[in-house]
Parts: sequence; structure tokens; C-alpha cells
Amino acid sequence: MRVQLKKSDPAGVRRALAAAAAGLLAGGPVRAQSPQSDPPSTTVDSALLVYHEVNRVQAIEPEVNVSHKIDDDRTFSFGLAADSLTGATPFGAVPSTLPQTYVRPYKVIPLGTPVTVTSASGGSTVVLIPPATGAKTRTLGASWVVPPGTYPLEHGFYDRRLAGNLGWEQALTQWLKLDGGVAYSKEHDYRSESAHVGLARDFNGHNTTLSAGVNYESDLSFPIGGTPTPLTEMSAQWKGPNTSLHETDAVLGLTQVMNRRWLSTLSYSFSELHGYQTDPYKVISVVDPVTGQPTQQLYENRPDSRRKQSIFFDNKIHVATDVIAASLRGYEDDWGVKSVTADLRYRWQPDPDYYVEPHLRYYRQGAANFFHNYLVSGAALPEYASADSRLAEFHAQTYGVKVGMPFDETYEVYMRVEYYDQHGNGSPAGAIGQLQQQNLFPDLKAYTLLLGFTYAF
Amino acid sequence: MNNCESCSANPPAESKARGWVRRAGPALGALAVAAVAASSAGCATLGAKPWDHDLLAEHAMQVDPYPLETRVDAHIYFSKEASSGGRSFAGGGCGCN
Repeated sequence: MRVQLKKSDPAGVRRALAAAAAGLLAGGPVRAQSPQSDPPSTTVDSALLVYHEVNRVQAIEPEVNVSHKIDDDRTFSFGLAADSLTGATPFGAVPSTLPQTYVRPYKVIPLGTPVTVTSASGGSTVVLIPPATGAKTRTLGASWVVPPGTYPLEHGFYDRRLAGNLGWEQALTQWLKLDGGVAYSKEHDYRSESAHVGLARDFNGHNTTLSAGVNYESDLSFPIGGTPTPLTEMSAQWKGPNTSLHETDAVLGLTQVMNRRWLSTLSYSFSELHGYQTDPYKVISVVDPVTGQPTQQLYENRPDSRRKQSIFFDNKIHVATDVIAASLRGYEDDWGVKSVTADLRYRWQPDPDYYVEPHLRYYRQGAANFFHNYLVSGAALPEYASADSRLAEFHAQTYGVKVGMPFDETYEVYMRVEYYDQHGNGSPAGAIGQLQQQNLFPDLKAYTLLLGFTYAF
Repeated sequence: MNNCESCSANPPAESKARGWVRRAGPALGALAVAAVAASSAGCATLGAKPWDHDLLAEHAMQVDPYPLETRVDAHIYFSKEASSGGRSFAGGGCGCN
């Protein structure tokens, strides 16, 4: 389709052509009617994320994506991302009025190797685990103490990730476009490989686009310390073998130009997962039925299958020189999690050379049906149990603002600052004994800074 | 799935938030149906003529004008919340959840 402009000023024409080119290069499973023009052939899109959780995780994540338009019908793209995370993270245990000592696997060394290390990351102490009879290796554990009244965190948390992706888009006809790609991600304890393919068909004079995409992901988990047996006691012993997870996702999308100022998208996505979905580092506390003091820490257990579905409704509305982006998402899965997400951005553009975009996001989820803050000693163990706060009932708000400066039609710099605030129920009804004095869901507060630079040539 | 409510002091009760989510479900469904109906019935009334696509051609009016930003956000929320997907595929491509 050809872009036909009402305005006749050359600057406006250049801007619109650049916008059309950028639109063509913007990925995603749902295609808007994408105007074709004579765009720059290559776009480099880069960003640096600095993520800071108050008293918890810190992360830095650079990303780059390069998209090259070979001709009017074919576009090739590749992307790279890396991230580095350090800090403290909850691991499922409840706080106590008494000091609590935890131990986890740290390292395996050949038997007879002198142990000179006395402390591990996060201020923990290295402990020696007696080797089994006839063993040729021995395990070192990391032990740490959580003070009374303190929400237990694991302070030695760190992770590095390197990810890459390749993509291809091919116009098959004037109305039909095929796209596909592969992605790879590697962490020190996790690997993910995926491939996707999608088809988009335009109708109604390019005012309607119907799209469908399928993604297959195969993951391998090889946690430090091995994979624990579910609902067994937390220990420093080296544990079971690697585990795998397979996920198939499908997305159906309908994008409609409602009128000259309004673009609307409706998507339905479905996912089916099979394999290991337990967090190997998370535990659930077993507490005394009278005092509420933790007596055991058991490794959590989640079902090995999960079915998710969601409906996503997105709107872009042009108002004078500004753009409103408003979306709603409804989500549910067969773990019992249900959620709604509302997202609103207002791109205020008083001048072609800069814009300011406030952002609000609201999210609320219900708990997974196997979520428990803790289990009670003496009762039968459930088949599945997790105290991971991400599976709890909570709500969260994001407040942000983005400032962008598009220079000419060739490059843009932007900076975004956001604040994320997550609240759950820290004082659940019926809490036992000393747990009534504790906050079982401390708020999560996180700041993000995103710096972006896009260059088209 | 969980047939052992008695072993926990805090069974997953029908809380306010969950009720809110449940009440929002039909509204979301109605919204979706309305959008589909509007889209499918609208060939005659919806859309814009080719010469009226000037605003739709602007960068900010694309379906996903900043895909890198979208990807970063999806990664953050995937690691902090139980939901994923919607705009795109639900798979996180990482071990962060």
C-alpha cells in the first residue's frame, strides 16, 4: 500500500515517510496495515536498562536489534541482549521471631582438595558437608543467618544471561506476509531455545489485518546444586539431574483501522507447557501449629503442565498531535491464576522534535491454587505447594514517564524512568502464633531507567 | 489440584482481589466480542481511505512502535508476575520465572 498524505509540507512528508519505515520495521505477531514507502534500509535499535529493586535485585541489561530491509518484500533482523543480576531475592521461607540458619549447595570439589574458601557470595559462610562413603567428590554448602523479625532473603543471588535472535519477514503477495525467527538464551543455570513462524493477511484495502503465529520453546534447567526432590528438606547436598520444559504458544490477532485516527488490535493467545516448572531454589516453610515457628524448609513443587490463555485489546488513538495508547489484558491459566492488566500511555507531542509520554499500568492477579504462605506441621503434605510470592494474590502499579527526541527522520534518543510498586497481603487471616507479628508479603518496589537510541540509515 | 486445604493455615480463599478479577472477566469478554463484532461488521463503515492514512503512518501509531522497549518490559513483568503473553508469545525465553 502506498502512503498518501494530506499535508503537503516537505518536513511533514519526510516525517511521515520515516514513520512508515519505522512501522514496517516494528516487529510483533500482529501486523498493522503497514504503509510502504522508500525507507532507510537499515535500522539499529538499542537500549540500556538499569533495574533497581529496593533492598533486593539490581540488574543491567543492554539490548540491540538490527533490522535490514533487503528490498520491498524482505526484511532480515537480528538482536542481542545481555543482562547481569545481583542482590537478594526471597526464596519462600517465612520470617521468625528467632534467628534462622539456612544452608544451600555452593560447590562440588574433588575429595582431598584443600578448602581455603571460608565465605561465599552474599556474606554466607562456607560449610563442609561430610562425603558419602566411597564418594570421589565432596560438596561445600553456603550457610547464612536471617535475624529475628526479618523477611528471609537469599543474598548470594546472581545471574548472567546472554540472548540472541534472528528474524525474517517475507511479503508473499501484496496482501500476505510471512515471518519467522529463532531465539536462544543462556544463563549459568538455564538455557532456552525457540522458533516461531507467523502469517499476516491484509483485507479491506489494508484496513484489516488478520494474523496467526506459533512459537515453540524448549528449555533446559541445570540449577546450581542440582534439581531438588520436591517437598524434601532444604540442604546443602548436591541433588538431581537437569530438567527440561517444552512450551508451545499460539497467537491470533485482528488489527483494524477504525478510522483515520484510531487503530485497534485484538489478540488471543494460548500456551501449553509441559515439563519442569518448579523453581529449584524456592522452599516453603513448615511451621509449628501452635507457635508458628518454622520447623522445616521444604523444596516447593509445582505441576508439570500448565495451560495459559489471554485476551489482549490495544488501541492507538491520534488526538491533535498526540497519541493515546490504551490496552487491556485478561489472563487465566489452569494453575488458578487470573489477572487483569490495564496500560495507558499518553504521548504528548507539543513539538515535532520532542515528546513527553506519561505511563500508567495497573495489574492485579489472584493466587495459584497451590500457593500457601506456609504449611503446618503434622498435616498431610499437599501434592503441590509453593510460597513463591509471584504466585500469590497481589496488585501492582507502574508509574512512568518517557521523554523522546526524534532528530530528523534518521535517529531518536529517549529516556524512560519508571517506578513499580507491588502489594500483597502480608497479614493473612488465620496466621499462626508468631506469624501474626510478621509481614509475610513485603512490598516490592523497583525503579527502572531505560535509555534508548534508534538510528536508521 | 489442592485437596489439602486443612494442612495450610491460609487456604486460598475467595478474596476481594480474586472476586474483582472474576467480575472483570465478563466485562473483558464483552469488550472482546464488541471489538470483534465492530471489526467484522465494519467493512462498510470502518477503515480509512488510502489518502487518509497520514496519521496512521506516524511512528507512534504503529502496533508496536518500540519493540525493544516492549521486550524489556515483557522480561521485567515475566520475572515478577504470574501472567505473560497477550501482545505476543507468552514464553519468557529465560529461567527468571
